[in-house]
Amino acid sequence: MEILAKAVRMAFGSKEILKDMDFTLRDKEFVGIIGPNGSGKSTFLKCVYRVQKPTGGEILFDGKRLDELSYRESALKLAVVAQHNTYSFDFSVLEVVLMGRSPHKKMLERDNQEDYQIARRALDVVGLAAFEKRSFATLSGGEQQRVILARALTQQTECLVLDEPTNHLDIKYQLQIMDIVKSLGLTVVAAVHDLNIATMYCDRLVALKDGQVVGVGTPRQLLTEQFIYDMYGVRSKVRCEADGRMNIMYLPGL
Amino acid sequence: MNNRIGLTIILALILIISIVISVSFGSAEISIQDIVLVLQEGLFSDGANLPEAMLPIHDIVWLLRMPRILLAACIGAGLSVCGVIMQAIVKNPLADPYILGVSSGASLGATAAILLGVGAAMGENFVGIAAFSGAFGVSLAVMFIANIGGRANSVKLLLAGMALSAVCSAFASFIVYFANNMEGMQSITYWLMGSMAGASWDLLQIMVPLTVIAVLFFCTQHRILNLMLLGDETAVTLGRDLHWYRQGYLLVSSVVVGFAVYAAGMIGFVGLIVPHVVRMLTGTDHKHLVAVSALSGSIFLVWADVLCRVILPRTELPIGILISLIGAPCFVYLMVKRTYGFGGN
Repeated sequence: MEILAKAVRMAFGSKEILKDMDFTLRDKEFVGIIGPNGSGKSTFLKCVYRVQKPTGGEILFDGKRLDELSYRESALKLAVVAQHNTYSFDFSVLEVVLMGRSPHKKMLERDNQEDYQIARRALDVVGLAAFEKRSFATLSGGEQQRVILARALTQQTECLVLDEPTNHLDIKYQLQIMDIVKSLGLTVVAAVHDLNIATMYCDRLVALKDGQVVGVGTPRQLLTEQFIYDMYGVRSKVRCEADGRMNIMYLPGL
Repeated sequence: MNNRIGLTIILALILIISIVISVSFGSAEISIQDIVLVLQEGLFSDGANLPEAMLPIHDIVWLLRMPRILLAACIGAGLSVCGVIMQAIVKNPLADPYILGVSSGASLGATAAILLGVGAAMGENFVGIAAFSGAFGVSLAVMFIANIGGRANSVKLLLAGMALSAVCSAFASFIVYFANNMEGMQSITYWLMGSMAGASWDLLQIMVPLTVIAVLFFCTQHRILNLMLLGDETAVTLGRDLHWYRQGYLLVSSVVVGFAVYAAGMIGFVGLIVPHVVRMLTGTDHKHLVAVSALSGSIFLVWADVLCRVILPRTELPIGILISLIGAPCFVYLMVKRTYGFGGN
């Protein structure tokens, strides 16, 4: 699936969060959006997954304008794993995952065997097959985010949006979730805070600052020491390891 | 999953049996055989074939006790389901059917009717009609206010409900203060305690279809109700915009609660505690929660009404008092037991 954003603007009152942002996501591509806090990463993604409505510009899914699609149609194309999910009621893990079938269902349609199979397979993919009867609220943060990932997979969309899903997770779960997503071969757009993680998983990076795109390219092209300083005001050392991986080391206090 | 369907069927059977047995309780002792006979006659031939000696029994069973038991069943089901719905709409486990100002609206209506004679031209149950108008009017006003300046969400609904509650209580107190009418105040108090004594077959002709339709309607809405608990943003990513659903559900449940108030005054706690107890049995998934809550609420209120009739000799305890007396300790017990987190954890 392809996503195209043209001159997207978003303003809350007089405060402009996004200023004419252009963005392209090609089929099967893994694109990371980086940028400091408040640069508009999340706001842009929220416009893409329709929780917020841009005040200007347009977003196209496979050439179709987003506001011409029903919520159900867009939920069949794109699934979301967002930052934080706390629910004030206690669902079982399987119930949460099964809700991913909602966009496929008509009002009175019940979940059938196939839906259960799809949900269980998704739980298997995220390594939580044994957890289906557990209560969602009793899981750890990392497990909860994997359940939400399983729910997104149950939507069976071609495209996945990750809106800083690993924010408050420890490094093991951050890597685990990114590994699972990478292994699925979907079209992915992710807001990423950790630049090292961005370099490991993303085919292409889009850098945002103050609501504007300030750079686009592969991690290697884009993430120079100068660029990181311009973006975050932090000195760093960027090294290429022998196996071709990039390694960004921050040098505080310089 | 199948044992939850089994649970629904068992509860339906318990409800039917409860209704038949509960008819036998009261100041006059009537045997089960007589009751079954009268019920058969009542259902199939309108009591025309009964022997002379059975007529008083027919009157007690068919005209006095049966309507009130069926009314209790309807109101129990209606309030419990509306409790489930309200908790989903405002995404808060502490919500009950009256949370969005409905109770204060109803008592303002009742106060105005009793002390100022508002709506006295509307017939015998004008207090009920005034209370219904108050309850329903406040629900509409809450929805309207919560939609000003952007779409309504759970927090705006709760705040609008609280604000309007305060306004209605203030007006009610104002009326009470200046009316200076002891007798009237007493009847308001009695009225607010709730009672099934106003039951009649005429009333049931509205209440039964209304309750059945509302319960069946909400049973079909389990998917949306589940999404409501996940919140608006998640619901959008799962393909549903909850806004209109929320307005629609509010409207349906205000009609149901309004009619419950009209028929029996204020009966608290049912709509709060039944959904929680049922969640302990079936889990949070609304696929079973709605139907099981309706049946459990019915059974609960039928027996509560029986207790009200028999607990004190020759007099009747207001059902609102009894339910709070039973309900509050149960609620505390659930809280203390801690195996059930009320979603809070």
